[in-house]
Parts: sequence; C-alpha cells; structure tokens
Amino acid sequence: MPDRRSHSGSTRRGNPNLAVLLTWLVPGAGHLYLGRAAFGLAAFAVVEGLYLAGLYLSGGMFLEYLPPEMRGRFAAALTPEVANLGALFWHVERFGYGPGHPRPWPPAMDLGTTLTAASGVLNLFLMARVHFDARLAAHDARVAPPIVAPPIGSGARAGRLGPAGAAFLTWVSPGLGHLAQGRRLRGVLVFVLLVGLFLFGTWLAQGSNLDRERHFYYWAGQFLLGPPAILVEFLHGHQRVTGEVPYADGGVVIASIAGMLNVLCMLDVYGWGEWRLLGEPEPRAGEAEAAA
Amino acid sequence: MNDLGFHLVLFLVVGSVIVAISAFYTEREDARALAIVPRRLAFFLAGCALVALLMLVLEHTVASVK
Repeated sequence: MPDRRSHSGSTRRGNPNLAVLLTWLVPGAGHLYLGRAAFGLAAFAVVEGLYLAGLYLSGGMFLEYLPPEMRGRFAAALTPEVANLGALFWHVERFGYGPGHPRPWPPAMDLGTTLTAASGVLNLFLMARVHFDARLAAHDARVAPPIVAPPIGSGARAGRLGPAGAAFLTWVSPGLGHLAQGRRLRGVLVFVLLVGLFLFGTWLAQGSNLDRERHFYYWAGQFLLGPPAILVEFLHGHQRVTGEVPYADGGVVIASIAGMLNVLCMLDVYGWGEWRLLGEPEPRAGEAEAAA
Repeated sequence: MNDLGFHLVLFLVVGSVIVAISAFYTEREDARALAIVPRRLAFFLAGCALVALLMLVLEHTVASVK
C-alpha cells in the first residue's frame, strides 16, 4: 500500500498554482512557501548552482547561438532554460545577445549550455513536485487514510518515488520511470522505441543534429530525451559537416520528435503515480451532471 | 521523388512510434495499450493519407503555381 504520509509529511497547506509560480521564478521558493525550508534551500542551491556553473563555462553566450534575424523578444521562450525563468530573465538582462558581432566560443561552451539547459529541466520537475506536494497536503487534510491501492503495479515503489520523481527518472532515461514504478514491459518498450528513434534520426542526419549551435530549437526538443541524447552528443556531436547530408532535415526532425514524445512518457508516469497515491480525480461539476 | 519509397518507410517508422507512445499514454494497462496500437496506427495512416491527398489536389488546382 502506498505511503502518502511519507510525501506530505510536514508540508503546510497552500495554493498549488502559487507554489508552482514561485518555483518557476525562484527554484525552491514554492517549497519555502509550503513550509519545507530545508528542501527549498537545497533545491535552490542545486538548480541555480547548475545554472551558474553553465553560465561560467559558456560565458553567458548561449543566446548568441541564434542568428541575428532570430533574436526576437521571445526567442528564449522555447529553450529548456525557460523553466528556470528567474535565472533566464537575469541572464537576458545581464548578457542578452552579446556585443552584436561574432566572437569565439569559450572552450567548454557545449558543456556550459548543457548545464544551463539541465538547470531548466530540473526546475521543471521541481515545479511538478511542489504542485503535487501542495495537492497532497490538501488531499490528506480532506481525506483520511488508508486508501485502497489500485490493482496493478508496485504500489510501494510508486509510493516512495512520487509522481515527479518518476517523471524525472523518465528524463534521466526513457522508460526508467516506468521501471521504477514496477511497469517493466512498458519501460523496456519506451526505452527501445524512443532511444531507437533518436539513434535512427541521428544516423540519418549523420550526427549533424548533435549541435545546439546548428539546430538551436530542434536541439531543445531532443534534449528532452535526457542523458542518452547528451551522451551521444558528447561522444559524436559537434563535428564539422564537410559534405552533403541527404537526410539531414529528416534526421534532426526525427531526433527532436523522439525527445518530445518522451514528454508524453513523463506525463504517463506522473499520471500513474498520482493515480496510485490519490486515486481517481474527482469529477468536475459538469462531468458529474453528465454522468447522472 | 526517386526516393519516395524511403520517405514512406521513414514516415511509417516515425508514425508507428508516435502511435505506440500515445497508446501508452492513453491506456494504463499494457495489454490494452498494445491491443489498440494496430487500429490506431491504421487510423493515423489513413488520416495522414487523406491530408496528403488533399494537399496534392490543392497543389494541382487552386494552389498551382504553373
């Protein structure tokens, strides 16, 4: 049986949407608002530490990857960094698009921009976590345990992990969140399908997709596949293209689709974990009337 | 158009993964999710074929640049 108390613990009741908004602006602020100061401060240190390390390594130049004609007001809105909005606002204000003329990239530019992007993705899961924590505290105050666990999977593991943790594991490697929830078949299939699709796209593009400078926005899509894509990029990416790549466009689109499909898998594990811990959502007023 | 066959294979591969992952998202139980994949894939391919046909018709009629 899942242990909901291990999640809600000492969490104070609060508005889940406000908690998410606070976390979006300042990582950890949502948990401070919910009365979990230690977790909030630790989360702030990790997420902003990643961003600052990335900023240091990349010299704050990641937006200079964009060609001049694409440097609009909302150009940064489709980057993974946007999930750490406060840091991105500060970044844009402090560094912007650079001095206006091309200049050499720092030696660890690729690692630096990967870290700033990872900071954004990490904060995304922190937002999911704080939203769930706030809802769970409200749920526990309203509904007395025990709940009856639905009949499939491993409830104990799902209970310990939590929906946001499972979603994070799905980013770490497609299918890993499913495996952690005890859904072995689905986890293996998801891994084979998504990592296979990403590698297929990379093979078609002959590795030309593995470069944020070359494919700024498509790179953001394939970054959602997580460390497998990052690992392949650091092993085979950033190579000079010396000849025609017949299926370069198709390859980069396919690799990006693989990353975006992983979002569906994250939502799947999040929804499943939520269902294990909270049960079926209560029908809205209109739905209840329609059912009656 | 000489590599039309290869493009169709690419489309089939990507379409299959899209349909399979969306079926997993729709259904909680693995067996039921796998069972609905063929029907959803057929529907997906038929829908895409219809859109492609419509685009070809438009290309040769109102949107023709000849």
